[in-house]
Amino acid sequence: MQTTDVLKSRAFRLSLAFALAIAAAATVVFTLIYLQFSAASEQMVAARLTDEATRALNESDGELRAQITQRLASDLRRLDYAGLFDPNGALLLGGPASLPSIRPDGRPHLVASGPVRDAGRPDQAIFVAVRRADGSILVLGRSLSEIDDLRGTVARSLALALAPTTILILVIGAFFARRAQRRLGSIHAAIAEIMKGDLKQRLPVTSEVDELDRVARGVNLMLDEIWRLLDQLRHIGDDIAHDLRTPLAVARAKIERGLERGSTIGELRAAMAEALVHLDRSAATISAFLRVSAMESDRRERSFGPVDLSAVCAGLFEFYEPLAQSKSVVIALAAPRSTLARGDEDLLREAISNLVDNAIKFTPEGGRVLIAAAAADGRATVEVSDSGCGVPPQDREDIFRRFYRGARDGAAPGYGLGLSIVAAVAKLHGFCLTVDDNGPGARFVLRGESLQLDSDEAARDIGAAPPKRSKASA
Amino acid sequence: MPQTASTGAKPAVLVIEDERALAEEIRYELQAEGYPVALADTRAEGLRVARAGGAAVLVIDRMLNHEDGLSILEALREEGNPTPILVISALSTVDDRIRGLKAGGDDYLVKPFELRELTARIEALSRRIPDSRATRLRAGPLEMDLVERSVRRGDRRVDLLPREFKLLEYFMRRPNQIVTRAMLLEDVWNYKFLPETNVVDVHIGNLRRKIDAGGEPRLIVNVRAAGFKLNADD
Repeated sequence: MQTTDVLKSRAFRLSLAFALAIAAAATVVFTLIYLQFSAASEQMVAARLTDEATRALNESDGELRAQITQRLASDLRRLDYAGLFDPNGALLLGGPASLPSIRPDGRPHLVASGPVRDAGRPDQAIFVAVRRADGSILVLGRSLSEIDDLRGTVARSLALALAPTTILILVIGAFFARRAQRRLGSIHAAIAEIMKGDLKQRLPVTSEVDELDRVARGVNLMLDEIWRLLDQLRHIGDDIAHDLRTPLAVARAKIERGLERGSTIGELRAAMAEALVHLDRSAATISAFLRVSAMESDRRERSFGPVDLSAVCAGLFEFYEPLAQSKSVVIALAAPRSTLARGDEDLLREAISNLVDNAIKFTPEGGRVLIAAAAADGRATVEVSDSGCGVPPQDREDIFRRFYRGARDGAAPGYGLGLSIVAAVAKLHGFCLTVDDNGPGARFVLRGESLQLDSDEAARDIGAAPPKRSKASA
Repeated sequence: MPQTASTGAKPAVLVIEDERALAEEIRYELQAEGYPVALADTRAEGLRVARAGGAAVLVIDRMLNHEDGLSILEALREEGNPTPILVISALSTVDDRIRGLKAGGDDYLVKPFELRELTARIEALSRRIPDSRATRLRAGPLEMDLVERSVRRGDRRVDLLPREFKLLEYFMRRPNQIVTRAMLLEDVWNYKFLPETNVVDVHIGNLRRKIDAGGEPRLIVNVRAAGFKLNADD
C-alpha cells in the first residue's frame, strides 16, 4: 500500500485534525498560564520593592547603609540591587554601578536593558528610586532573570508535552487508516471481481462487528438475492425459450412445407393460415410473459381499492352464460351477498374470467360449471368448479407455473397462459390459488383476506349495489 | 383480401413508425383498403408532416428509435391539433396504455397486432360518431329508440336484453364499419382482456337470431379475420 494512500485516508486526516485541535487547545492554556504567572510575579516584586523603598526614607543614614550592606551580603544569588547615590548621581554604596535612568518617584520601573551579569544574556530588572531628605538617592531593584528562567521552564514543558502527544495521535491515526485501507483494498478487489461478472464472489467480512463489517454483510446478502433472482431469471428464460421456440418452429415448418410442396394458392394459403395461428400463439406467450413479469416486479398497490368479487362474478356469469348455453353446459352463479376484498378490479376480473373460460372449455356437453363467491371468517373466496376432466394430482402444482402446458392442452389450447396470469394476479394480491378434485372435474379456489366495510362505505366506494341473486340456467 | 371501398374516398393516414418493414406492411394494408398513406420515420419528420396538415388520422409508434413518440402527441395537442391519433406500442401494461391516452392518443394498440385490427381502429377514428345526444338511431331497416329502449326492424318489434341492446347500439353508431372483438370487449363490456374462447361470437350470434327473423337478410355480418360489420345499406 502506498504511503500517500494512508495520508489521504479519512481516518488519518481525522486524526491530523484532532492533533491540531489538541495542540491549539494546549497552546492557549499554556499561554494563559504563562501570562498570568509573569504578571503576578512581576507585580509581587514591584510591590515589595516599593514598600521597602518607602520604609527606607525614614531610616537614619547609618541604619540605611547597614541595611544595604546586609541586604547585599545575604543575596547569594546576586539578584537584588541596593545602592545609594549622591545628589549628583555618583555611587556612594552598593550597586548598580551607575544610576539607572529612572525618576526617583518611589514607583517601580522596568529597565529593559539592564547591566549584563550572566554572560551574554541581557538582564531585565525592576528598579525603584527615592530621593532622601539629604538629596541622596536610594535605588532598590531586583533582577527578573529568575522569573525569566521560570517562564522558560513553562514554555519548554509546553513544547515537551505537545510534541509527543501530537506524534502519538498521528501514529495512531495512521495505524487505523492503514488498517481501514487494507480492508477497503480487499473489498475493492472483491467488487472488481464482481464487476467483471463473477457474481459468486462475496465481500470479505472479519470477526469484528463494526460498521464496515455490517455494510459488507448487507452487500453480501444483497448479492445473494441478486444471484437468486438471476438464477430464477435464467430458468424463466429457459422456459420462455421453450415456449416460444415451439410455436415458432411449428410455424416455420408450416411455411417451409408450403413453399416446398404447395403447388396451388389454396395449399399455400392453408399453410400460411396454420403458420399464423402458431405465430399468434408465440406473440400471446410474449404478452402473457411480460404481463406476468410486470405484475411480479411491480408490487405497487396503486390501483388497489375495494372490489366486490360477487359483482365481478355476476358480470362474468352474464358474459359467459351464452357461451355455456351454446355448448349445452349448465352454468350457475352462487354469489348471494357482496364479497369485498382489496385489489385491482380489472386484474381480478381477468383472473376469474380465465378460470371460467377454462372451465367452460374443458367441460363436455351436458356438464356443469359453478361460479361462487362468498365471504366468511374474514376470508373472501371465489370458486370456479366444473365437471370436466379435472386436473391430475401430479399436475396440480405445475399448472400454475409459468406457461406450463398440461396433457389436456392438446385438445384445447391456451390453458397454460391463462393460468399463469391467474397465478400472477393471485400473487400480486396476496391471494392463495389452489386446485382440487371436484369429483368429477376441477375446482379452482381463489382465497384472500376479505375487506370489512360498513355497508354505506362499501356502496359508495364500489358505486354499485351488491348483487342479490343466485340463479342458474341451461 | 381487401374489401371494396364502400363509400367514397378514404381519409389520408400518416404513419410515424421507424421500423421500415412494419411501416411498409401498414402502408400496404391501408392502401389496399383505399386509404392514402404517408410514412415518416423520425420524430422531426413526423411532426413536420403532421403540422403540414392533410392527414385525417395519425398512427404513431410510441418508441421511435430512442425518441419518445408520445412527445409528438403532446406537441400536437398543445398546438391545438385535434387530428385523431392511434398509438402503437410494444408496451402493454395498463399504466402504459393510460399514459398513451393521457398524452392525447385516441386509441392504443399493442404490438404485435393484426393489421385488420389496426385498419378497423383507423376507420373508427376517421369517422365521426353520430351525435350522441340523438334519441333515435337508424341503420338500414333497423331503428332504435334510446329513450324507450326499443328496437324495430321494419315493422317488427325486436325484444332485446339490456346487454344485447347495448351491443346493437354500438353497431348502429358505426354502420358499415368493421368492429373487432377487442373493440367490443373494450367498449361494450369494458373488459381489458381477450378471452380465449369465442364468447363474443356467441353474443353476436344471439343478437343476430333476434334481429334477423325468418328469411330476412343478415344485418350483422362476419368480416373474415377482422370482426363484424353492420350492413346499413338499404
